[in-house]
Amino acid sequence: MAAPTICVPGQRICRLEETCKQGNGTYPRNGYIYSSLAGYLHTFEDEDGKSLIEVKTQEEQNVVPSVDAIVTTRITNVNPRFCKCLILSVGKIPLREPFRGQIRKEDVRATEKDKLSLGDAHSYILSTAENELGVVIATSEAGATLEPISWCKMKCPKTMAEEFRKVAKVQPKYVQYAGT
Amino acid sequence: MPTDSRRINGPEDSFDPSVLLVDKKTREKILRDGKRKDGRKPEQVRPIFLKAGIISQARGSAYIEQNETKVMCAVYGPREVTKKEEFSMKGQLTCEFKFATFSCRVRRQYQQDNEERDYSCQLQDALEPAVRMDKFPKAQVNVYVTVLQNDGSPLAASLTCASVALANAGIEMYDLVVGCSARITPSEVFIDPTESEDYKAENDNEAGNGSVTLGLMPSLNQVSAITSKGEVEFELLNKGTKQCVDVCQKLYPVLQQAVAKAVEDRLSSDHVT
Repeated sequence: MAAPTICVPGQRICRLEETCKQGNGTYPRNGYIYSSLAGYLHTFEDEDGKSLIEVKTQEEQNVVPSVDAIVTTRITNVNPRFCKCLILSVGKIPLREPFRGQIRKEDVRATEKDKLSLGDAHSYILSTAENELGVVIATSEAGATLEPISWCKMKCPKTMAEEFRKVAKVQPKYVQYAGT
Repeated sequence: MPTDSRRINGPEDSFDPSVLLVDKKTREKILRDGKRKDGRKPEQVRPIFLKAGIISQARGSAYIEQNETKVMCAVYGPREVTKKEEFSMKGQLTCEFKFATFSCRVRRQYQQDNEERDYSCQLQDALEPAVRMDKFPKAQVNVYVTVLQNDGSPLAASLTCASVALANAGIEMYDLVVGCSARITPSEVFIDPTESEDYKAENDNEAGNGSVTLGLMPSLNQVSAITSKGEVEFELLNKGTKQCVDVCQKLYPVLQQAVAKAVEDRLSSDHVT
């Protein structure tokens, strides 16, 4: 593979034309595309024949949770009205430092997605209002890992007790098995 | 205002002997003759050493040396904003400027004094136009600048250092910011003053003396912040500002190289492991 071109913020990449589209890490100005990240240049060929110009950094990109993002969280507090959680990763990218999130009671039951804002000063507001969202791993009161038996119930293998959880139907593309 | 009540200070009428060292008359002579102590021409800037990615625990970092002035900078973030009152849908940038206690002729306090708080604000003003704050809503980026040795122009060196550190941290920016300062006397303009040449309000209170520091975004050709002290004639201030802009444009490749080198190093170390 040829040595990739390294870009620096403020560096002019190319002219903004019909065939070029600017992607992440770039911004358009005065008819040219400039880089806004320190990293290396990536050009993707689209189906339309357009090339997408991106600048990628080496390690995890600095992600911050945004609206409509799918995040992985760990629940820290449970309350009758809502539960507090720590956002551990956004999509596939793990965060270096966790952000605070909140799941309200009404957002677990609803099957329609309301227009949820990005949250308030304390924390981000999350919802599990889709079939594929919900609890992924849980421990029972006895301490064993719960196994899902339906979309709303999980069973403890030791005590055979059933507990209510909104179970997530995790998409295969999000699952990465250890060791592969 | 938090003061240091735990340390034992000497008797109240004791003073630092370095006050007796500096001869005011020779200092003024250096500036009036138009010749500088280190042999530089008035418009000549000191040679720069700049390296990025030197603090492993920080998200991004940089170190700059301009002859004897040594400054290092660490950038953390985007992190969660912990204070409730500072909630905003845009990202936040906070800067902290600190002289190390051993960095100046007179020993500095451990806590930030007014001058350092002032520099912190100026640094933030200069860096904010360059950073794409809309890319990290509800989060903050912290910039910590420590001056290890102060031999003049600490703010200009910190500006350069901080923008390289921000780029090294992977924070999206419109452009890098280059800092440069100039000392203005009634007759001449000196670029990049050393500590003995620099403007001090208590010593140089004749009219026509002052200094100017500015931060330039070379690719956009925009000045992100400019600050000046003293009482100067407009023509000389104009000349000083223009010369600073030229110097910043000349220094831009040094910054680009430092940032690119750090990206390269990271790339090659990732291929090895």
